[in-house]
Amino acid sequence: MLNNNRRRVSLGLGFGLMLIAMTAPLYMNAYYQSFLLQLFMMVALAQAWNLISGMTGYVSFGHTAFFGVGAYAGALLLLAGFPWWLAVFKGAGIALLLAVPLGFLTLRLRGPYFAIAMLGLNEVGRIIATLWVDLTRGGDGISLAPKLLPSLHSNYFSMLFLALSATLLVAFIHRRRFGLELRAIREDEEAAEMVGVNTTVNKVMAFMLSALIPGAAGAVYAMYTSYIDPSSVFAPALNIQMIVMVLFGGTGTVWGPILGAGIVMFLREMLWAQFPAAHLAALGVLLLIVVLYLPGGIISLFRARQQRARPDARTGAAP
Amino acid sequence: MELLDPAILLQLLISGLLAGALYALLACGLNLVFGVMRVINLAHAELMLVGAFSAYLLYRFFGLHPVFSLVIVVPAVFFFGYYLQRVLIERVVGQPLLSSLLATYGVSIILVNIGLLLFSADYKSVPAMQGSILFGEIAISKPRAVAGLISVALTLAIYFFLERAHLGKAVRAVAEQPQVAAICGIDVRRIRMLTFGMAAAMAAAAGVMLAMIYSFSPISGADFIQKSFAIIIIGGMGNFAGALYGGLLLGVVESYVAGFSSSQWAEAVAYLLLVAVLLIRPTGLKGTAYVK
Amino acid sequence: MKRQSLLSVLFSLVLAFIIFPAVSQAKEIVVGASAALTGKYARNGQDQLDGFNMWVEEVNARGGLLGEKVRLVHYDDESTPATGQKLYEKLITDDKVDLLIGPYSSDVAMAASTVAEKYNFPMVSSGASATEIWTRGYKNIFGLYTPGSTYMEQVLEYAKSKGLKRVALIYQNTAFPRDVANGVRAKAKALKMDLVFDEEYGKDSTDFTSTTIKIKSKKAEVVIGASYLPDSTAFVRQAKENHLYAKIFAFAVGPALPDFGANLGLDAEGIMGNTHWEPTLNIPGAKDFAQRYTKKYGREPGYHAAGGYGAGQVLEAAVKKANSIDKDKLRQALTELDTVTAFGRYKVDSNGMQIGKPGYTVQWINGVRQLILPAKDATAKPVYPFKDWSKR
Repeated sequence: MLNNNRRRVSLGLGFGLMLIAMTAPLYMNAYYQSFLLQLFMMVALAQAWNLISGMTGYVSFGHTAFFGVGAYAGALLLLAGFPWWLAVFKGAGIALLLAVPLGFLTLRLRGPYFAIAMLGLNEVGRIIATLWVDLTRGGDGISLAPKLLPSLHSNYFSMLFLALSATLLVAFIHRRRFGLELRAIREDEEAAEMVGVNTTVNKVMAFMLSALIPGAAGAVYAMYTSYIDPSSVFAPALNIQMIVMVLFGGTGTVWGPILGAGIVMFLREMLWAQFPAAHLAALGVLLLIVVLYLPGGIISLFRARQQRARPDARTGAAP
Repeated sequence: MELLDPAILLQLLISGLLAGALYALLACGLNLVFGVMRVINLAHAELMLVGAFSAYLLYRFFGLHPVFSLVIVVPAVFFFGYYLQRVLIERVVGQPLLSSLLATYGVSIILVNIGLLLFSADYKSVPAMQGSILFGEIAISKPRAVAGLISVALTLAIYFFLERAHLGKAVRAVAEQPQVAAICGIDVRRIRMLTFGMAAAMAAAAGVMLAMIYSFSPISGADFIQKSFAIIIIGGMGNFAGALYGGLLLGVVESYVAGFSSSQWAEAVAYLLLVAVLLIRPTGLKGTAYVK
Repeated sequence: MKRQSLLSVLFSLVLAFIIFPAVSQAKEIVVGASAALTGKYARNGQDQLDGFNMWVEEVNARGGLLGEKVRLVHYDDESTPATGQKLYEKLITDDKVDLLIGPYSSDVAMAASTVAEKYNFPMVSSGASATEIWTRGYKNIFGLYTPGSTYMEQVLEYAKSKGLKRVALIYQNTAFPRDVANGVRAKAKALKMDLVFDEEYGKDSTDFTSTTIKIKSKKAEVVIGASYLPDSTAFVRQAKENHLYAKIFAFAVGPALPDFGANLGLDAEGIMGNTHWEPTLNIPGAKDFAQRYTKKYGREPGYHAAGGYGAGQVLEAAVKKANSIDKDKLRQALTELDTVTAFGRYKVDSNGMQIGKPGYTVQWINGVRQLILPAKDATAKPVYPFKDWSKR
């Protein structure tokens, strides 16, 4: 019964947020739309990361590799004359296809090895984008002219769509057998295998899905900023942001990444103009507090209350 | 082609080894921490920069030569690391990978941004030592030679400390069997503090050496930490000697790739090697495995 | 259910605060700009911002623009294109500024200029010089700096006049240095010089040991670096360590900045570099500006500071000419304007690219930065050839 209630609150909150997001362009100026667009992007990326790392425990330090691939694919296809939505679609597709071989290769690795391998892959992506000058124009970057670009509204709703679908995907998987199996891998991969979970297929599937979203987000991002260069899209700092947001909110949960992205983005927005360097140091302090005192993320504050009401509830958040 | 001139080959080898020695000193510290407590210290390169900026300040205001500032900076950062372990890192030992990554990342961004507030993003350098020694065609830069030799000496000193000294053996015992070590009466917490202190001191020493050779800013850490990752993967995670070989190897390979291809490819080498080693032989070239 | 509605109300309230910022303000003209205050261009960005601020202060002392006070709104773009893009969106749509000055560095300007173009908002761009900014058919970007592809022409012509042939080129892998490099290739070809070495390096490179060894083996007579300050400094230091010798060393960004001499000391001696401006130039107001700047900030202005100040003066002249801050009138005024600021002449082609202002070449001579080319503006004769490292 309580579970039912919680679900209703979730749904209600979700609808409320969606309503605000859908109608925002009616009463918000372009800057706040830009801000929300970036927030949606971070939600989408955080959810994508959550899908592979939050659920299976395979910590990826290089999901920006897919973001970068999507951004370059999207920008180049747009220049080649494709309509923007098709360019986004194909950008996502390319990231997805790339994830198949990469997934099979890297997911054999465990723990820190996987994390560092992904970091290395992201760097390899950046290097390819820098050195393959004929295709990517190298360090000059790619500049997209305004007449090619979709309107801010299109970009806004594209990102909103991505954030929403990423969230729904996580929510959907969370409740299915697939999600259960992924979490089983996180708890104990050998045991999961023993009871008949095909861990390789599961992991690679999750990896592909979690590559699809950054691929699409990268393509939309390229159309939104109008200028990309290798280091601005294959950016390890962006990857760290995704991780921080997920951890902040609560790993392996549906609402955690949304909460985390929202809080971090709003804090940054309020602080950066006044304290350019200090606000990042403050973020570091906040991060330490969360890691040390709130390992389940902010969402565990809400969960804890519910657990008092429901002593039999399983721990919602990740270790 | 003129590049095959033996003098140039030798020159590239020497400059590669000297750069590699610095990498090795840095990466050995990172690997030591990983080996003993399974924590990947993302703030390692920032500890290096603490060393570099300390050397800069000491040179700037007291005219102290970096080689002498080692005597002040290294112990100071040792204690910083020692207490950092006590108040922070100790709490994430034995926790899932992410906790330690984020805790150390938190330390890293705090240090970087304090650095930016204090020093801005300008590049600093410590031109205390200049010039080079000529052997016929071959020129060896004095600061590099000094930095390289000190780095090797420090790395070997720590290596023999771990191999021979009583306390060093305790560190290895904690790395291999923490429970057994505890039963044998080793104060595991203290050993961990000692380990982190040592690693921080090695990073700081690398920073002081770095200050003599390169220009650096508070945001210079990223490149070094990523190279250090590559080195410990190549050499084997948790394997101290492996990081030493890995560092020297990377230095030499980078030098030759830059010599025969371009410096951009040389920067790529670390990552290509990293990915290749992981895919072919995930336990590193030295082959000592870290089993989950 | 109740909590849900409460939350929604709270959320809408928060949003309402965000959406409707305070509007009432005294009549004034607001100038918007982003400045690189953190990140890799922080130093140059700060100089440029100081230049803007000084102009704002002085224009207000003169009675403002069109009789109204001028106020500068600026944010830190962290030296990254994405942040710059976001900020210009904010300046135009949220702060609703009246006039716009571009950001420092070509890559941030690439992103920012697209925003300005999208809103059809004229922008005076100081601190950016990649030719590509003006070859995209944009109508709203007006440059102050001489385009990057022309940077090294004087140096190469001078080298040619000394009978040198073998040129080595290194350049960083970002937009502006690549533009300079393209210019070097074209000019070397036109002058029938041999490009014996041509290599790109990563943007965070600080180690050029192998590069210097290679250049040495190519026996280059002229070494040109399309680089920024940190890499120029590092390269010189390592060239010395590896005994790389050439008759001419020249760098795009670096030698013209005071830091270069401070960091390198004796090793800076004889090195050439590009500049857009020097306090000694025979431009009306230049010397005076340098004195006022030094008095105000306690240090000598580099050319980025003068560029920032000049950008303000160009805006001022354009507003006066248009007698309005209307976008269309201003665009036309900026296109037609031909004026001289403390930074030098301003005149652009139909794309907004600077064509009125010559580039200059400096050289460190006896510990002082001297302007050596073009000859008519020179404060000293070039020292040639480069003195060997061991003989100083």
